[in-house]
Amino acid sequence: MAAASIIGQGTVVRGNVRGEGSLAIDGRVEGDVSVDGDVTLGEHGAVKGNVSGARISVAGAVAGDLHGTDAVLLESSARVVGDLGGPSIGIADGALVRGNVRTDGEPAALAGRARSTRSETPAQHEETSAPRAARPAPAPRRTAKKAAPARAKAKPAKAAPRKKAAKRRPPPPVVPALSKRTRGRKKKKKTRR
Amino acid sequence: MAGTVIGEGLTVEGELTSDEEVVVHGNLRGTLSSSDAVSVGSGGNVEADINASALSVAGQVTGNVNVAERVDLQAGGRLIGDVKSSRLTIADGASFKGNVDMEV
Repeated sequence: MAAASIIGQGTVVRGNVRGEGSLAIDGRVEGDVSVDGDVTLGEHGAVKGNVSGARISVAGAVAGDLHGTDAVLLESSARVVGDLGGPSIGIADGALVRGNVRTDGEPAALAGRARSTRSETPAQHEETSAPRAARPAPAPRRTAKKAAPARAKAKPAKAAPRKKAAKRRPPPPVVPALSKRTRGRKKKKKTRR
Repeated sequence: MAGTVIGEGLTVEGELTSDEEVVVHGNLRGTLSSSDAVSVGSGGNVEADINASALSVAGQVTGNVNVAERVDLQAGGRLIGDVKSSRLTIADGASFKGNVDMEV
């Protein structure tokens, strides 16, 4: 039996933690954590390094990637700066995450294989299709922003494209032309007299 | 219940610092310092210098030991390294190799 391990609240580990069994972290770990059992990071727990385990439950702070072979669960008090990976990922309301999230649970190099195999199973296919749908979503927003000024340009262009160009050009020349000449003369006159 | 437990099958490589009790049933390589008691279980294997208030060894420890109060080397325990402590007990069946400094 691989006994459960605990890193208590008053404990700091600088180095790597790896092995069998489950691990509860209420203290600090500055290094990678790699366990084949579950990892539970308490509210006071903090990890500066990558964490991998079967089921990773986070209520504390992590600066590093989380990879769960079963699941990655972020509680509402979780603060994570790093990527999340696993077949099932849960992020509670209030959890802070900065990083990539992959629900396919495979590293990037194996993503192609994983998708081809997953298309056979409908349940997992739904999971993989969700991020795919999410990814193109920001694209139309960007294009919409670009399209909006394009329309504004297009409207005066229909009426008079040359005037539009003329309207644009005057302002920059007018301002420096007036300001340079007027300022230069006025200042010199004022200061000298 | 102990504050920190390195369970069987778990390996910690590096520096472990604690202000609470530390129990090692697994492996620890590096340094171990605690302001509370440290105990190494029968399956524990520590290759580290240990600083603690008290130490109980039932497993294997390789490294120098600097303890404020007492060191208990239990039967089946194995300690290789110098011990600096005001008290030291070595049970029958324990193995020990090293110097003892009892701060006389």
